[in-house]
Amino acid sequence: MVEKSLNEKPKRPGLVRLPTGIPGLDDMIEGGLPFPSVVLVAGTAGTGKTTLSLKYLCEGAKRGEQGLYFTTLSEPTQWMLRYASQFDFINKDYFGDSIVYMDLGNLMREVDANKLLNIMEEKIAEVVPQRIVIDPITVVGGMLKGDYRLFLFDLFNRLKNWNATTLVTGEVHPGEIYPPEVSYAVDGIILLQYSEEAGARRKYLEVLKMRGTNHMTGRQSIDITRSDGIVVLKARF
Amino acid sequence: MNEKDIRQMKGILEALGNKGQRGAVLIDVPSTQFVRVNLMLLRGLSQELGMSGIFISVDRPHQYMVHLLTMHQIRTERLRFIDAISHFSADCKVASANVGFVDGPFHIDRLPMAMGEWGKGNNGNSFTLDDCDFAIIDNLSALLTYNSNKSVEAFLRNFVGVLNSSGKIMVPLMIDSEKSGPLYETVRGLCKCEVRLKDPHTPSDSSMDNVGRSFEFDMVR
Repeated sequence: MVEKSLNEKPKRPGLVRLPTGIPGLDDMIEGGLPFPSVVLVAGTAGTGKTTLSLKYLCEGAKRGEQGLYFTTLSEPTQWMLRYASQFDFINKDYFGDSIVYMDLGNLMREVDANKLLNIMEEKIAEVVPQRIVIDPITVVGGMLKGDYRLFLFDLFNRLKNWNATTLVTGEVHPGEIYPPEVSYAVDGIILLQYSEEAGARRKYLEVLKMRGTNHMTGRQSIDITRSDGIVVLKARF
Repeated sequence: MNEKDIRQMKGILEALGNKGQRGAVLIDVPSTQFVRVNLMLLRGLSQELGMSGIFISVDRPHQYMVHLLTMHQIRTERLRFIDAISHFSADCKVASANVGFVDGPFHIDRLPMAMGEWGKGNNGNSFTLDDCDFAIIDNLSALLTYNSNKSVEAFLRNFVGVLNSSGKIMVPLMIDSEKSGPLYETVRGLCKCEVRLKDPHTPSDSSMDNVGRSFEFDMVR
């Protein structure tokens, strides 16, 4: 066997990336989200945050990666699945096995920030996921006992040390771009937006920030379809 | 760990020849599976086979692996953690384990020397290399974040050399051949055998929708 030297190829390995499976998005971010990292998906109601997150988890399950979905809405699995199952990409068999679902809604009312962090870490250590979703993170701020910013800092730091790429979704008010208390601590920001043009509401996706990534800038038109969920329309050309 | 993990753990132990393997062994694993495979290795070698070992943390503070082991009811008394990253991290996570700290990932070249000192038993520490059956680094690719290619290569030769000199230590060196080609080739040159953990399906495979896809371990040389 010929032994090669590292000196022959001084180029450092690129970041490991997790493809989102969203047509067009991966091409905008060098093939996928950096692993590990924490990425904020921000948008107003109905822009597709949960759809994007579910596609991300299903894509991981398809690739043999473990997913963990934290919901902060106290929504039972069956309700979430009832709506999500309208998408062709959802394989219900993933849920409970390749994608584990945990409701944090009730816990947030009862415990302080440290306890909530510990409970989430217990679940992460149990499941050992490569892909995590917290949907939506912004609800936590209004319900948590304790310093929300400190909680976010500790949470995001630990999520990366657990070696996972986490999508946190953030609900924003019309006119607001993203929740600033979340955005300062994340590695990437993906915006989902509505825009009223010629009497019609059009949807857009924009990668505002993605550390370590030469990402495409500017708003890209998107569509939400039954077969693929979110599709970045530019990718069709 | 679920049934699938336990089956895979048995697969990797079998591929490693259970207690029989000595010296450096290359384990080719997708980067996203490093934590899971480390967990399998530690459970298999330490708990199932009763081996004592060193776990060197370069990529994340050792507390995370201790937490993971505790959560999966894997005992840590046979493990010695060497943490090269905690002093460099703002993390305040706590964990209880037998741990030593080295300067940081920028000074990884000092690690074999420190281990050699332990081997002489003159560090006032009850742990010596004579007590050690295996050593794992989490993970090799992370070293390139902090060190030049040349110093990582020198470190690896030194590290494997120090541990091989005992004649009894297994050194699983985990690396992703697809992501870290040049480092993989260097490590390959240091290892007498190679185990591969690869997904049997490619992303374009029509069977991608199968649930519970398993990764298989193969001894490739």
